[in-house]
Amino acid sequence: MIVVKSHGEFRQQTRKTILESLEVNNLEVHTSCREGFCGACRTKLNKGSVKYITEPLAYFEDDEILPCCCVATSDIEIELS
Amino acid sequence: MFFGHPVNVARYDQQKHSIFEKIIEKQISFFWRPEEVDVSKDRVDFQKLSESEKHIFISNLKYQTLLDSIQGRSPNIAFLPIISLPELETWVETWSFFETIHSRSYTHILRNLFTDPSQIFEDIVVNQEIKKRATDISKYYDDLIFATQLWQTLGEGTHQVNGETHEINMYQLKKKLYLCMCSVNALEAIRFYVSFACTFAFAERELMEGNSKIIRLIARDENLHLTSTQHILNLWRNGKDDPEMAEIAKECEQESKDIFLTAVEQEKQWAAYLFQHGSMIGLNQEILCQYVEYIANNRMEAIGLGSPFAVSGNPLPWMNNYLSSDNVQVAPQESEISSYLVGQIDSEVDSSEFDDFDL
Ligand code: FES
Ligand SMILES: [Fe+2]
Ligand SMILES: [Fe+2]
Repeated sequence: MIVVKSHGEFRQQTRKTILESLEVNNLEVHTSCREGFCGACRTKLNKGSVKYITEPLAYFEDDEILPCCCVATSDIEIELS
Repeated sequence: MFFGHPVNVARYDQQKHSIFEKIIEKQISFFWRPEEVDVSKDRVDFQKLSESEKHIFISNLKYQTLLDSIQGRSPNIAFLPIISLPELETWVETWSFFETIHSRSYTHILRNLFTDPSQIFEDIVVNQEIKKRATDISKYYDDLIFATQLWQTLGEGTHQVNGETHEINMYQLKKKLYLCMCSVNALEAIRFYVSFACTFAFAERELMEGNSKIIRLIARDENLHLTSTQHILNLWRNGKDDPEMAEIAKECEQESKDIFLTAVEQEKQWAAYLFQHGSMIGLNQEILCQYVEYIANNRMEAIGLGSPFAVSGNPLPWMNNYLSSDNVQVAPQESEISSYLVGQIDSEVDSSEFDDFDL
């Protein structure tokens, strides 16, 4: 499960990134490159763990993720900016 | 990263910040040549544009030409002499090389639109609106370059040059470097976007698509460039490089914010100049200004400067179709980019293809 603070709970779709899983549910996440190199999608990760399917190149803090290029490997809680 | 031991043998086996090596690889994987993009249909489209739209289109091209001319030259001149990390040195060279591709592509676009594009190029340096911005952008580069040259030739101390007194010390040099990096980031992360939005607004109407294809490739490169300078700024700010730079980042917080806010202001004025004879379908000054604020929030937030503007959602959601890198090759109204087809060999062989073979 992907819990998005103050937006509800969403399922991590198979073979989809976290970003795509949220977009399926019409949630607007800031994006640009969608491939981990621009940083537009930086999102705070409050709980849980993720795995990158494309190596992220953009800068993000230790408590953040780039949802465009990772999948959830546990239940997670994130906070959209 | 800067002002350490001069780079000696170009070895990349011991890296302090390996991220730059990865960014180099990514950038090289993006390699493209303007000539591979067919812009010939644009000529017909251009004739169909209204006078106000022609003004928008050409003014943007002029401005972009100037920005990329600055970027093709200045990082090399300003940063290479003071870089002390081989991977960063190579990144700056790779980055600059791609800027020269951008510059070449403007010539490619203009040559197609005009039999003689020289008048357009000549106007770039006399156009007041463009000049205003150029001065602001090159100011920080010039400052750093000048101080570095004094430091390299005369060392630290108080120097008289042309009747002016210059105090040169390491702290001041680093401060100039910090502000210059902020201004480069603002340039690549914000300034380009007004022009990008106009280009893609034309493409939304299936106009000037060759140009849009080129700008899409440029925008992809720029996304990577801004990431590299965000890394540099954040490494400094978080004390993961030179501790003195962390101090400077704190000390210059307001000044760096102002660099971004000035860029936003100037881009809004640019939008007003573009639309002075009338706006274009799908885009007007107000929404473009909101978009600049939206972009600025994201960029400033990324380097710890907060998000000063009230916009939250993306006012031009269709922009993302053009900025997303999977759309660079297969775009909404895509013809095709030849480079991706040349040299592609079909390696899939089905055993049924040997059916006719008798040995
Ligand atoms: S959209 Fe560019 S890093 Fe995620
Ligand atoms: Fe560029
Ligand atoms: Fe650039």
